[in-house]
Amino acid sequence: MPSDNAIETLGLTKVFRSVWRRTQVRALDDVSLEVPRGTTFGLLGPNGAGKTTFVKLLLACVHPTQGAARIFGREVWESEARRPVGYLPENHRFPTYMTGVGMLDFYSALSGMQARARKKRIPELLELVDLAKWGRVRLGKYSKGMLQRIGLAQALMHSPRLLILDEPSDGVDPVGRRQIREILHALEEKGVTIFINSHLLGEVELFCREVAILHRGKVALVGKVKELTAGKGYRLAATSVGGEAESKLRETATATASKDGLLEFQFADRATLNQAIDLLRGCDAQIESIAPTTSTLEDVFMRTVQS
Amino acid sequence: MTLLIASAALMRDTFREAIARKLFWGLFGISTALILFAVFIMRIDVVQGAIATTSLFGQTIGHGVDVTRLVRGVHAVISTFLYYWLMCLALFASAGLISSVFEPGRIELLLSKPVSRAHILLGRYAGNLLVVGLNAGYLVLGIWLIFGWKTGVWNSAFLVVMATTAFMFAVLLSAMVLVAVLSESGALAIMVAFALMIVSAILAQRSIAERLLSSEWSRTLWNALYWALPKFFDVGSMNLNFVQGRPVGSLAPLWSSAVFAAVMLAASVYSFSKRNY
Repeated sequence: MPSDNAIETLGLTKVFRSVWRRTQVRALDDVSLEVPRGTTFGLLGPNGAGKTTFVKLLLACVHPTQGAARIFGREVWESEARRPVGYLPENHRFPTYMTGVGMLDFYSALSGMQARARKKRIPELLELVDLAKWGRVRLGKYSKGMLQRIGLAQALMHSPRLLILDEPSDGVDPVGRRQIREILHALEEKGVTIFINSHLLGEVELFCREVAILHRGKVALVGKVKELTAGKGYRLAATSVGGEAESKLRETATATASKDGLLEFQFADRATLNQAIDLLRGCDAQIESIAPTTSTLEDVFMRTVQS
Repeated sequence: MTLLIASAALMRDTFREAIARKLFWGLFGISTALILFAVFIMRIDVVQGAIATTSLFGQTIGHGVDVTRLVRGVHAVISTFLYYWLMCLALFASAGLISSVFEPGRIELLLSKPVSRAHILLGRYAGNLLVVGLNAGYLVLGIWLIFGWKTGVWNSAFLVVMATTAFMFAVLLSAMVLVAVLSESGALAIMVAFALMIVSAILAQRSIAERLLSSEWSRTLWNALYWALPKFFDVGSMNLNFVQGRPVGSLAPLWSSAVFAAVMLAASVYSFSKRNY
Protein backbone atom coordinates (compact mmCIF):
# COMPACT_ATOMS: atom_id res chain seq x y z
CA MET A 1 0.00 0.00 0.00
CA PRO A 2 1.53 3.41 -0.96
CA SER A 3 2.43 5.60 1.97
CA ASP A 4 3.52 9.21 2.51
CA ASN A 5 6.19 7.91 4.79
CA ALA A 6 9.42 6.32 3.74
CA ILE A 7 9.65 4.53 7.08
CA GLU A 8 6.87 3.72 9.52
CA THR A 9 7.15 1.68 12.66
CA LEU A 10 4.32 0.85 14.99
CA GLY A 11 4.93 -0.41 18.51
CA LEU A 12 8.20 -1.97 17.44
CA THR A 13 9.61 -4.05 20.27
CA LYS A 14 12.61 -6.31 20.33
CA VAL A 15 13.57 -8.51 23.24
CA PHE A 16 16.76 -10.53 22.93
CA ARG A 17 16.57 -13.70 24.96
CA SER A 18 19.47 -15.87 25.97
CA VAL A 19 18.27 -19.47 26.12
CA TRP A 20 21.15 -20.74 28.25
CA ARG A 21 21.41 -17.91 30.75
CA ARG A 22 17.67 -17.30 30.84
CA THR A 23 18.25 -13.58 30.61
CA GLN A 24 16.55 -11.08 28.36
CA VAL A 25 17.38 -7.64 27.09
CA ARG A 26 14.69 -5.28 25.88
CA ALA A 27 16.59 -3.52 23.10
CA LEU A 28 13.56 -1.68 21.71
CA ASP A 29 10.36 -0.94 23.55
CA ASP A 30 7.22 0.11 21.71
CA VAL A 31 8.93 2.34 19.17
CA SER A 32 6.54 4.14 16.84
CA LEU A 33 8.21 6.44 14.36
CA GLU A 34 7.38 8.02 11.04
CA VAL A 35 9.99 9.27 8.60
CA PRO A 36 8.33 11.27 5.81
CA ARG A 37 9.43 10.82 2.21
CA GLY A 38 12.18 13.14 1.04
CA THR A 39 13.39 14.19 4.48
CA THR A 40 16.77 13.85 6.12
CA PHE A 41 16.29 12.08 9.40
CA GLY A 42 18.83 11.47 12.17
CA LEU A 43 18.49 8.76 14.77
CA LEU A 44 20.42 9.62 17.90
CA GLY A 45 20.99 7.94 21.20
CA PRO A 46 23.67 6.90 23.65
CA ASN A 47 25.45 3.57 23.26
CA GLY A 48 23.06 0.69 23.84
CA ALA A 49 19.99 2.83 23.19
CA GLY A 50 18.77 0.46 20.48
CA LYS A 51 19.71 2.48 17.37
CA THR A 52 21.44 -0.34 15.50
CA THR A 53 18.72 -2.81 16.49
CA PHE A 54 16.19 -0.38 15.04
CA VAL A 55 18.09 -0.18 11.74
CA LYS A 56 18.50 -3.96 11.61
CA LEU A 57 14.76 -4.38 12.16
CA LEU A 58 14.11 -2.06 9.23
CA LEU A 59 16.33 -4.21 7.04
CA ALA A 60 14.91 -7.52 8.26
CA CYS A 61 18.23 -8.61 9.75
CA VAL A 62 16.45 -8.92 13.10
CA HIS A 63 12.93 -10.18 13.75
CA PRO A 64 10.66 -8.01 15.91
CA THR A 65 9.20 -9.45 19.10
CA GLN A 66 6.17 -7.21 18.61
CA GLY A 67 5.01 -4.45 16.30
CA ALA A 68 5.49 -3.76 12.65
CA ALA A 69 7.86 -1.87 10.37
CA ARG A 70 7.15 -0.67 6.85
CA ILE A 71 9.23 0.86 4.11
CA PHE A 72 7.23 2.87 1.58
CA GLY A 73 4.16 1.08 2.90
CA ARG A 74 5.51 -2.46 2.48
CA GLU A 75 6.21 -4.79 5.37
CA VAL A 76 9.97 -5.06 5.78
CA TRP A 77 9.73 -8.86 5.67
CA GLU A 78 8.85 -8.74 2.01
CA SER A 79 12.17 -8.81 0.20
CA GLU A 80 10.69 -6.39 -2.37
CA ALA A 81 10.41 -3.78 0.40
CA ARG A 82 14.19 -3.59 0.42
CA ARG A 83 14.56 -2.96 -3.30
CA PRO A 84 14.40 0.87 -3.03
CA VAL A 85 16.79 0.88 -0.06
CA GLY A 86 20.50 1.63 -0.08
CA TYR A 87 22.31 0.67 3.10
CA LEU A 88 25.72 1.34 4.54
CA PRO A 89 26.20 -0.73 7.69
CA GLU A 90 28.22 0.21 10.72
CA ASN A 91 31.37 -1.92 11.21
CA HIS A 92 31.00 -3.31 7.72
CA ARG A 93 33.30 -6.08 6.58
CA PHE A 94 33.34 -5.98 2.84
CA PRO A 95 35.05 -9.07 1.42
CA THR A 96 38.71 -8.07 1.10
CA TYR A 97 39.22 -10.33 -1.94
CA MET A 98 36.95 -8.07 -3.98
CA THR A 99 38.13 -5.01 -5.87
CA GLY A 100 36.14 -1.80 -5.65
CA VAL A 101 34.61 -2.53 -9.04
CA GLY A 102 33.88 -6.16 -8.12
CA MET A 103 32.23 -5.15 -4.89
CA LEU A 104 29.98 -2.57 -6.55
CA ASP A 105 29.12 -5.08 -9.24
CA PHE A 106 28.26 -7.87 -6.77
CA TYR A 107 26.03 -5.89 -4.44
CA SER A 108 24.22 -4.09 -7.24
CA ALA A 109 23.58 -7.42 -8.96
CA LEU A 110 21.92 -8.57 -5.74
CA SER A 111 19.76 -5.47 -6.00
CA GLY A 112 18.66 -6.74 -9.39
CA MET A 113 20.60 -4.36 -11.67
CA GLN A 114 21.27 -5.61 -15.17
CA ALA A 115 24.90 -6.13 -16.22
CA ARG A 116 24.83 -3.28 -18.75
CA ALA A 117 23.44 -0.81 -16.22
CA ARG A 118 26.03 -1.88 -13.66
CA LYS A 119 28.86 -1.43 -16.10
CA LYS A 120 27.71 2.10 -16.88
CA ARG A 121 27.02 3.10 -13.28
CA ILE A 122 30.21 1.81 -11.61
CA PRO A 123 32.64 4.40 -13.09
CA GLU A 124 30.16 7.20 -12.27
CA LEU A 125 29.95 6.15 -8.63
CA LEU A 126 33.71 5.64 -8.30
CA GLU A 127 34.17 9.16 -9.66
CA LEU A 128 31.56 10.52 -7.26
CA VAL A 129 33.31 9.13 -4.18
CA ASP A 130 36.74 10.06 -5.53
CA LEU A 131 37.96 6.48 -5.93
CA ALA A 132 38.21 6.30 -9.72
CA LYS A 133 41.86 5.28 -9.57
CA TRP A 134 41.20 2.62 -6.95
CA GLY A 135 38.50 0.68 -8.74
CA ARG A 136 40.76 -2.23 -9.69
CA VAL A 137 42.49 -2.42 -6.31
CA ARG A 138 41.43 -5.02 -3.76
CA LEU A 139 39.45 -3.71 -0.81
CA GLY A 140 42.07 -5.15 1.53
CA LYS A 141 44.35 -2.27 0.48
CA TYR A 142 41.78 0.45 1.19
CA SER A 143 42.02 2.76 4.20
CA LYS A 144 39.06 3.03 6.56
CA GLY A 145 37.90 6.28 5.00
CA MET A 146 38.12 4.77 1.51
CA LEU A 147 36.11 1.75 2.62
CA GLN A 148 33.48 4.09 3.97
CA ARG A 149 33.33 5.94 0.65
CA ILE A 150 33.16 2.75 -1.43
CA GLY A 151 30.48 1.57 0.99
CA LEU A 152 28.51 4.71 0.26
CA ALA A 153 28.96 4.13 -3.48
CA GLN A 154 27.66 0.59 -2.98
CA ALA A 155 24.56 1.96 -1.24
CA LEU A 156 23.94 4.37 -4.14
CA MET A 157 24.52 1.95 -7.04
CA HIS A 158 20.89 1.13 -7.74
CA SER A 159 19.68 4.75 -7.24
CA PRO A 160 17.73 4.04 -4.04
CA ARG A 161 14.78 6.12 -2.88
CA LEU A 162 15.71 5.55 0.77
CA LEU A 163 19.25 5.64 2.03
CA ILE A 164 19.98 4.16 5.45
CA LEU A 165 23.41 5.08 6.72
CA ASP A 166 24.79 3.68 9.96
CA GLU A 167 27.60 5.95 11.19
CA PRO A 168 28.50 7.15 7.66
CA SER A 169 31.33 9.45 8.81
CA ASP A 170 33.03 6.82 10.93
CA GLY A 171 36.76 6.87 10.19
CA VAL A 172 36.45 9.55 7.51
CA ASP A 173 38.69 12.65 7.67
CA PRO A 174 37.14 16.16 7.65
CA VAL A 175 37.60 16.55 3.89
CA GLY A 176 35.92 13.20 3.29
CA ARG A 177 33.11 14.13 5.67
CA ARG A 178 32.40 17.31 3.79
CA GLN A 179 32.47 15.33 0.54
CA ILE A 180 29.97 12.81 1.93
CA ARG A 181 27.78 15.65 3.16
CA GLU A 182 27.79 17.24 -0.29
CA ILE A 183 26.84 13.95 -1.93
CA LEU A 184 24.00 13.53 0.55
CA HIS A 185 22.80 17.10 0.01
CA ALA A 186 22.66 16.46 -3.74
CA LEU A 187 20.62 13.32 -3.10
CA GLU A 188 18.32 15.22 -0.75
CA GLU A 189 17.63 17.71 -3.53
CA LYS A 190 16.66 14.83 -5.77
CA GLY A 191 14.08 13.76 -3.18
CA VAL A 192 15.92 10.78 -1.72
CA THR A 193 14.97 10.09 1.88
CA ILE A 194 18.08 9.88 4.02
CA PHE A 195 18.05 8.13 7.38
CA ILE A 196 21.24 8.52 9.39
CA ASN A 197 22.11 6.63 12.54
CA SER A 198 24.96 8.47 14.18
CA HIS A 199 26.47 9.52 17.46
CA LEU A 200 28.15 12.56 15.84
CA LEU A 201 25.65 15.19 16.95
CA GLY A 202 27.36 18.02 15.07
CA GLU A 203 27.14 16.10 11.81
CA VAL A 204 23.48 15.31 12.35
CA GLU A 205 22.71 18.92 13.29
CA LEU A 206 24.42 20.13 10.13
CA PHE A 207 22.68 17.72 7.84
CA CYS A 208 19.36 16.44 9.20
CA ARG A 209 16.05 18.24 9.19
CA GLU A 210 14.42 15.89 11.69
CA VAL A 211 15.76 13.78 14.52
CA ALA A 212 14.61 11.20 17.01
CA ILE A 213 16.45 10.40 20.20
CA LEU A 214 16.29 6.85 21.43
CA HIS A 215 17.02 6.20 25.07
CA ARG A 216 16.87 2.81 26.75
CA GLY A 217 14.99 1.40 23.79
CA LYS A 218 12.27 4.04 23.77
CA VAL A 219 11.70 7.16 21.69
CA ALA A 220 12.62 9.92 24.14
CA LEU A 221 12.25 12.82 21.72
CA VAL A 222 11.30 13.38 18.12
CA GLY A 223 11.01 16.59 16.14
CA LYS A 224 12.45 19.05 13.65
CA VAL A 225 16.03 20.12 14.41
CA LYS A 226 15.20 23.82 14.00
CA GLU A 227 12.37 23.64 16.50
CA LEU A 228 14.28 21.55 19.00
CA THR A 229 17.29 23.85 19.01
CA ALA A 230 15.30 27.10 18.95
CA GLY A 231 15.53 29.04 22.26
CA LYS A 232 12.63 30.48 24.21
CA GLY A 233 14.42 33.52 25.67
CA TYR A 234 16.99 36.21 24.94
CA ARG A 235 20.60 36.80 25.84
CA LEU A 236 21.86 40.36 26.49
CA ALA A 237 25.48 41.43 27.00
CA ALA A 238 26.45 44.86 28.34
CA THR A 239 29.38 46.80 29.84
CA SER A 240 29.59 49.86 32.16
CA VAL A 241 26.52 48.70 34.06
CA GLY A 242 26.15 50.54 37.36
CA GLY A 243 25.76 48.62 40.62
CA GLU A 244 22.12 49.61 41.17
CA ALA A 245 21.08 48.72 37.58
CA GLU A 246 22.94 45.41 37.82
CA SER A 247 21.03 44.45 40.98
CA LYS A 248 17.72 45.28 39.32
CA LEU A 249 18.63 43.27 36.23
CA ARG A 250 19.70 40.27 38.32
CA GLU A 251 16.22 40.21 39.84
CA THR A 252 14.47 39.88 36.47
CA ALA A 253 17.04 37.75 34.60
CA THR A 254 16.78 33.95 34.52
CA ALA A 255 20.59 33.66 34.46
CA THR A 256 23.59 35.96 34.74
CA ALA A 257 27.30 35.73 34.09
CA SER A 258 30.21 38.18 34.17
CA LYS A 259 33.65 38.10 32.64
CA ASP A 260 36.23 40.92 32.27
CA GLY A 261 33.63 43.63 32.89
CA LEU A 262 31.15 42.12 30.41
CA LEU A 263 27.84 41.21 32.03
CA GLU A 264 25.54 38.65 30.42
CA PHE A 265 21.89 38.28 31.29
CA GLN A 266 19.28 35.85 30.06
CA PHE A 267 15.63 36.86 30.01
CA ALA A 268 12.68 34.59 29.70
CA ASP A 269 10.63 36.77 27.30
CA ARG A 270 10.62 39.86 25.15
CA ALA A 271 8.82 42.10 27.71
CA THR A 272 11.49 41.57 30.38
CA LEU A 273 14.18 42.10 27.75
CA ASN A 274 12.67 45.45 26.72
CA GLN A 275 12.49 46.57 30.37
CA ALA A 276 16.16 45.66 30.76
CA ILE A 277 17.11 47.63 27.61
CA ASP A 278 15.24 50.71 28.94
CA LEU A 279 16.99 50.40 32.26
CA LEU A 280 20.45 50.09 30.65
CA ARG A 281 19.84 53.08 28.37
CA GLY A 282 18.78 55.13 31.37
CA CYS A 283 22.06 54.50 33.17
CA ASP A 284 24.45 55.05 30.20
CA ALA A 285 25.45 51.41 30.05
CA GLN A 286 26.80 50.02 26.75
CA ILE A 287 24.75 47.24 25.16
CA GLU A 288 27.20 44.94 23.37
CA SER A 289 24.82 42.31 21.95
CA ILE A 290 21.28 40.99 22.04
CA ALA A 291 20.38 37.58 20.61
CA PRO A 292 17.71 34.94 21.00
CA THR A 293 18.97 32.02 23.04
CA THR A 294 19.47 28.78 21.07
CA SER A 295 20.52 25.31 22.05
CA THR A 296 22.81 23.03 20.15
CA LEU A 297 21.60 19.55 19.33
CA GLU A 298 24.09 18.39 21.91
CA ASP A 299 22.30 20.47 24.58
CA VAL A 300 18.99 18.97 23.52
CA PHE A 301 20.47 15.49 23.50
CA MET A 302 22.04 15.86 26.95
CA ARG A 303 18.86 17.28 28.44
CA THR A 304 16.82 14.45 26.95
CA VAL A 305 19.15 11.69 28.02
CA GLN A 306 19.75 13.05 31.51
CA SER A 307 16.14 13.91 32.29
CA MET B 1 15.15 -12.04 -14.35
CA THR B 2 16.33 -10.32 -11.16
CA LEU B 3 16.28 -13.74 -9.51
CA LEU B 4 18.70 -15.05 -12.12
CA ILE B 5 20.97 -12.01 -11.83
CA ALA B 6 21.16 -12.42 -8.05
CA SER B 7 21.72 -16.20 -8.30
CA ALA B 8 24.54 -15.74 -10.78
CA ALA B 9 26.09 -13.05 -8.56
CA LEU B 10 25.98 -15.31 -5.49
CA MET B 11 27.56 -18.22 -7.33
CA ARG B 12 30.18 -16.02 -8.93
CA ASP B 13 31.03 -14.55 -5.54
CA THR B 14 31.55 -17.99 -4.02
CA PHE B 15 33.77 -18.88 -6.93
CA ARG B 16 35.72 -15.64 -6.60
CA GLU B 17 36.18 -16.21 -2.88
CA ALA B 18 37.43 -19.75 -3.52
CA ILE B 19 39.98 -18.32 -5.95
CA ALA B 20 41.02 -15.51 -3.61
CA ARG B 21 41.45 -17.90 -0.70
CA LYS B 22 43.61 -20.04 -2.99
CA LEU B 23 41.18 -22.93 -2.46
CA PHE B 24 40.29 -23.30 -6.11
CA TRP B 25 43.89 -23.17 -7.29
CA GLY B 26 44.94 -25.44 -4.41
CA LEU B 27 42.44 -28.08 -5.53
CA PHE B 28 43.42 -27.49 -9.14
CA GLY B 29 47.14 -27.86 -8.33
CA ILE B 30 46.64 -31.09 -6.40
CA SER B 31 44.46 -32.44 -9.21
CA THR B 32 47.11 -31.55 -11.77
CA ALA B 33 49.79 -33.26 -9.68
CA LEU B 34 47.65 -36.41 -9.53
CA ILE B 35 47.08 -36.33 -13.29
CA LEU B 36 50.83 -36.00 -13.89
CA PHE B 37 51.41 -38.84 -11.46
CA ALA B 38 49.04 -40.96 -13.54
CA VAL B 39 51.13 -40.21 -16.62
CA PHE B 40 54.11 -41.94 -15.05
CA ILE B 41 52.60 -44.87 -13.17
CA MET B 42 51.55 -46.82 -16.23
CA ARG B 43 53.54 -47.53 -19.33
CA ILE B 44 52.39 -49.82 -22.11
CA ASP B 45 54.77 -51.00 -24.79
CA VAL B 46 53.13 -51.99 -28.01
CA VAL B 47 55.16 -54.01 -30.47
CA GLN B 48 53.76 -54.54 -33.95
CA GLY B 49 50.16 -54.12 -32.80
CA ALA B 50 50.43 -56.41 -29.79
CA ILE B 51 51.13 -55.44 -26.25
CA ALA B 52 54.67 -56.46 -25.33
CA THR B 53 54.85 -55.44 -21.69
CA THR B 54 52.78 -53.48 -19.25
CA SER B 55 54.52 -51.59 -16.53
CA LEU B 56 52.75 -50.30 -13.43
CA PHE B 57 54.63 -48.40 -10.72
CA GLY B 58 57.81 -49.51 -12.51
CA GLN B 59 56.99 -53.24 -12.20
CA THR B 60 56.65 -55.23 -15.40
CA ILE B 61 53.39 -57.15 -15.23
CA GLY B 62 54.12 -59.56 -18.04
CA HIS B 63 53.45 -60.59 -21.58
CA GLY B 64 49.97 -61.21 -22.89
CA VAL B 65 48.19 -59.65 -19.96
CA ASP B 66 44.52 -58.74 -20.41
CA VAL B 67 44.96 -54.98 -20.56
CA THR B 68 41.21 -54.25 -20.48
CA ARG B 69 40.89 -56.13 -17.22
CA LEU B 70 44.02 -54.55 -15.88
CA VAL B 71 42.86 -51.03 -16.74
CA ARG B 72 39.43 -51.70 -15.22
CA GLY B 73 41.15 -52.88 -12.05
CA VAL B 74 43.39 -49.84 -11.93
CA HIS B 75 40.39 -47.61 -12.66
CA ALA B 76 38.49 -49.22 -9.78
CA VAL B 77 41.34 -48.58 -7.35
CA ILE B 78 41.83 -45.02 -8.58
CA SER B 79 38.13 -44.21 -8.59
CA THR B 80 37.84 -45.34 -4.97
CA PHE B 81 40.90 -43.32 -4.07
CA LEU B 82 39.54 -40.26 -5.88
CA TYR B 83 36.15 -40.63 -4.23
CA TYR B 84 37.64 -40.47 -0.74
CA TRP B 85 40.47 -38.09 -1.61
CA LEU B 86 38.32 -35.60 -3.46
CA MET B 87 35.72 -35.67 -0.71
CA CYS B 88 38.27 -34.89 1.99
CA LEU B 89 39.77 -32.04 -0.04
CA ALA B 90 36.39 -30.65 -1.00
CA LEU B 91 35.11 -30.67 2.58
CA PHE B 92 38.22 -28.89 3.85
CA ALA B 93 37.96 -26.33 1.08
CA SER B 94 34.27 -25.67 1.69
CA ALA B 95 34.22 -25.16 5.44
CA GLY B 96 35.38 -21.54 5.23
CA LEU B 97 33.30 -20.72 2.18
CA ILE B 98 30.05 -21.48 3.94
CA SER B 99 30.74 -19.92 7.33
CA SER B 100 32.32 -16.72 5.95
CA VAL B 101 28.90 -15.51 4.80
CA PHE B 102 27.72 -15.26 8.40
CA GLU B 103 30.50 -12.89 9.48
CA PRO B 104 29.14 -9.82 11.26
CA GLY B 105 29.38 -6.80 8.99
CA ARG B 106 28.97 -8.95 5.89
CA ILE B 107 25.72 -10.76 6.54
CA GLU B 108 23.79 -7.54 7.32
CA LEU B 109 24.63 -6.10 3.92
CA LEU B 110 23.59 -9.32 2.16
CA LEU B 111 20.32 -9.42 4.07
CA SER B 112 19.60 -5.77 3.24
CA LYS B 113 19.36 -6.65 -0.45
CA PRO B 114 16.02 -7.60 -2.03
CA VAL B 115 16.91 -11.27 -2.02
CA SER B 116 15.28 -13.88 0.20
CA ARG B 117 17.36 -15.62 2.84
CA ALA B 118 16.71 -18.98 1.19
CA HIS B 119 18.06 -17.57 -2.06
CA ILE B 120 21.26 -16.34 -0.39
CA LEU B 121 21.90 -19.70 1.27
CA LEU B 122 21.10 -21.84 -1.75
CA GLY B 123 23.07 -19.56 -4.06
CA ARG B 124 26.10 -19.98 -1.86
CA TYR B 125 25.52 -23.74 -1.71
CA ALA B 126 25.32 -23.95 -5.49
CA GLY B 127 28.47 -21.87 -5.88
CA ASN B 128 30.31 -24.24 -3.59
CA LEU B 129 29.11 -27.24 -5.60
CA LEU B 130 30.34 -25.56 -8.75
CA VAL B 131 33.83 -25.04 -7.32
CA VAL B 132 34.14 -28.67 -6.27
CA GLY B 133 32.33 -30.05 -9.33
CA LEU B 134 34.70 -28.32 -11.73
CA ASN B 135 37.73 -29.65 -9.92
CA ALA B 136 36.31 -33.16 -9.68
CA GLY B 137 35.52 -33.04 -13.38
CA TYR B 138 39.00 -31.86 -14.25
CA LEU B 139 40.72 -34.53 -12.17
CA VAL B 140 38.56 -37.48 -13.21
CA LEU B 141 38.50 -36.52 -16.88
CA GLY B 142 42.25 -35.91 -16.82
CA ILE B 143 43.02 -39.33 -15.37
CA TRP B 144 40.52 -41.03 -17.68
CA LEU B 145 42.12 -39.39 -20.72
CA ILE B 146 45.64 -40.33 -19.59
CA PHE B 147 44.69 -43.97 -19.07
CA GLY B 148 42.72 -44.09 -22.30
CA TRP B 149 45.60 -42.61 -24.23
CA LYS B 150 48.16 -44.94 -22.69
CA THR B 151 46.19 -48.16 -22.85
CA GLY B 152 43.73 -47.60 -25.64
CA VAL B 153 40.99 -48.79 -23.27
CA TRP B 154 38.26 -46.18 -22.83
CA ASN B 155 36.31 -47.36 -19.80
CA SER B 156 33.52 -44.78 -19.58
CA ALA B 157 32.26 -46.35 -16.33
CA PHE B 158 35.21 -44.67 -14.64
CA LEU B 159 33.61 -41.28 -15.27
CA VAL B 160 30.80 -42.11 -12.88
CA VAL B 161 33.12 -41.19 -10.02
CA MET B 162 32.56 -37.54 -11.04
CA ALA B 163 28.85 -37.91 -10.44
CA THR B 164 29.13 -39.96 -7.23
CA THR B 165 31.69 -37.59 -5.73
CA ALA B 166 29.67 -34.50 -6.64
CA PHE B 167 26.49 -36.13 -5.34
CA MET B 168 27.97 -37.24 -2.02
CA PHE B 169 29.68 -33.88 -1.62
CA ALA B 170 26.32 -32.16 -2.11
CA VAL B 171 24.86 -34.42 0.60
CA LEU B 172 27.64 -33.79 3.12
CA LEU B 173 27.72 -30.08 2.25
CA SER B 174 24.03 -29.81 3.13
CA ALA B 175 24.86 -31.02 6.66
CA MET B 176 27.77 -28.57 6.81
CA VAL B 177 25.47 -25.73 5.81
CA LEU B 178 23.06 -26.56 8.62
CA VAL B 179 25.86 -26.72 11.20
CA ALA B 180 27.33 -23.46 9.89
CA VAL B 181 23.95 -21.71 10.09
CA LEU B 182 23.36 -22.92 13.64
CA SER B 183 26.87 -22.43 14.98
CA GLU B 184 28.49 -19.99 12.49
CA SER B 185 31.59 -22.18 12.87
CA GLY B 186 33.36 -23.59 9.83
CA ALA B 187 35.51 -25.83 12.02
CA LEU B 188 32.49 -27.47 13.64
CA ALA B 189 30.85 -27.91 10.23
CA ILE B 190 33.85 -29.81 8.90
CA MET B 191 34.02 -31.96 12.04
CA VAL B 192 30.40 -32.98 11.59
CA ALA B 193 30.95 -33.79 7.90
CA PHE B 194 33.91 -36.05 8.70
CA ALA B 195 31.99 -37.66 11.55
CA LEU B 196 29.20 -38.49 9.10
CA MET B 197 31.72 -40.08 6.72
CA ILE B 198 33.19 -42.27 9.46
CA VAL B 199 29.85 -43.17 10.98
CA SER B 200 28.52 -44.18 7.57
CA ALA B 201 31.32 -46.75 7.24
CA ILE B 202 30.43 -48.20 10.66
CA LEU B 203 26.68 -48.19 10.10
CA ALA B 204 27.14 -49.90 6.72
CA GLN B 205 28.27 -53.08 8.56
CA ARG B 206 24.69 -54.03 9.25
CA SER B 207 25.14 -57.78 8.82
CA ILE B 208 27.88 -57.82 11.45
CA ALA B 209 25.77 -55.63 13.74
CA GLU B 210 22.81 -58.03 13.37
CA ARG B 211 24.99 -60.81 14.72
CA LEU B 212 26.75 -58.82 17.43
CA LEU B 213 23.86 -56.83 18.88
CA SER B 214 21.86 -58.88 21.31
CA SER B 215 18.78 -56.72 21.90
CA GLU B 216 16.08 -55.94 19.38
CA TRP B 217 15.99 -52.24 20.19
CA SER B 218 19.73 -51.81 19.58
CA ARG B 219 19.39 -53.46 16.17
CA THR B 220 16.41 -51.21 15.43
CA LEU B 221 18.42 -48.17 16.50
CA TRP B 222 21.32 -49.26 14.27
CA ASN B 223 18.99 -49.61 11.31
CA ALA B 224 17.26 -46.32 12.04
CA LEU B 225 20.58 -44.51 12.12
CA TYR B 226 21.67 -46.27 8.96
CA TRP B 227 18.60 -45.08 7.08
CA ALA B 228 18.58 -41.60 8.58
CA LEU B 229 22.20 -40.70 7.87
CA PRO B 230 23.95 -40.31 4.50
CA LYS B 231 25.47 -43.48 3.06
CA PHE B 232 28.87 -42.23 2.07
CA PHE B 233 30.49 -45.66 2.40
CA ASP B 234 27.76 -47.53 0.52
CA VAL B 235 27.80 -45.07 -2.36
CA GLY B 236 31.58 -45.54 -2.53
CA SER B 237 31.05 -49.31 -2.80
CA MET B 238 28.46 -48.78 -5.54
CA ASN B 239 30.99 -46.63 -7.35
CA LEU B 240 33.64 -49.36 -7.12
CA ASN B 241 31.27 -52.05 -8.39
CA PHE B 242 30.13 -49.91 -11.27
CA VAL B 243 33.67 -49.15 -12.46
CA GLN B 244 34.56 -52.84 -12.28
CA GLY B 245 31.50 -53.74 -14.28
CA ARG B 246 29.84 -55.59 -11.40
CA PRO B 247 26.17 -55.15 -10.37
CA VAL B 248 25.70 -52.12 -8.14
CA GLY B 249 22.74 -53.56 -6.22
CA SER B 250 20.04 -51.47 -4.60
CA LEU B 251 19.84 -47.73 -5.29
CA ALA B 252 18.53 -47.11 -1.76
CA PRO B 253 21.83 -45.56 -0.56
CA LEU B 254 21.46 -42.91 -3.26
CA TRP B 255 17.87 -41.90 -2.70
CA SER B 256 18.04 -42.07 1.09
CA SER B 257 21.14 -39.84 1.00
CA ALA B 258 19.28 -37.46 -1.30
CA VAL B 259 16.40 -37.34 1.19
CA PHE B 260 18.91 -36.59 3.96
CA ALA B 261 20.33 -33.68 1.91
CA ALA B 262 16.86 -32.30 1.21
CA VAL B 263 15.97 -32.41 4.91
CA MET B 264 19.26 -30.75 5.87
CA LEU B 265 18.80 -27.97 3.32
CA ALA B 266 15.20 -27.37 4.36
CA ALA B 267 16.28 -27.19 8.01
CA SER B 268 19.13 -24.83 7.07
CA VAL B 269 16.81 -22.49 5.19
CA TYR B 270 14.28 -22.56 8.04
CA SER B 271 16.92 -21.89 10.68
CA PHE B 272 18.59 -19.16 8.61
CA SER B 273 15.28 -17.40 8.05
CA LYS B 274 14.54 -17.38 11.81
CA ARG B 275 17.87 -16.07 13.03
CA ASN B 276 18.74 -12.54 14.06
CA TYR B 277 21.93 -10.98 12.70
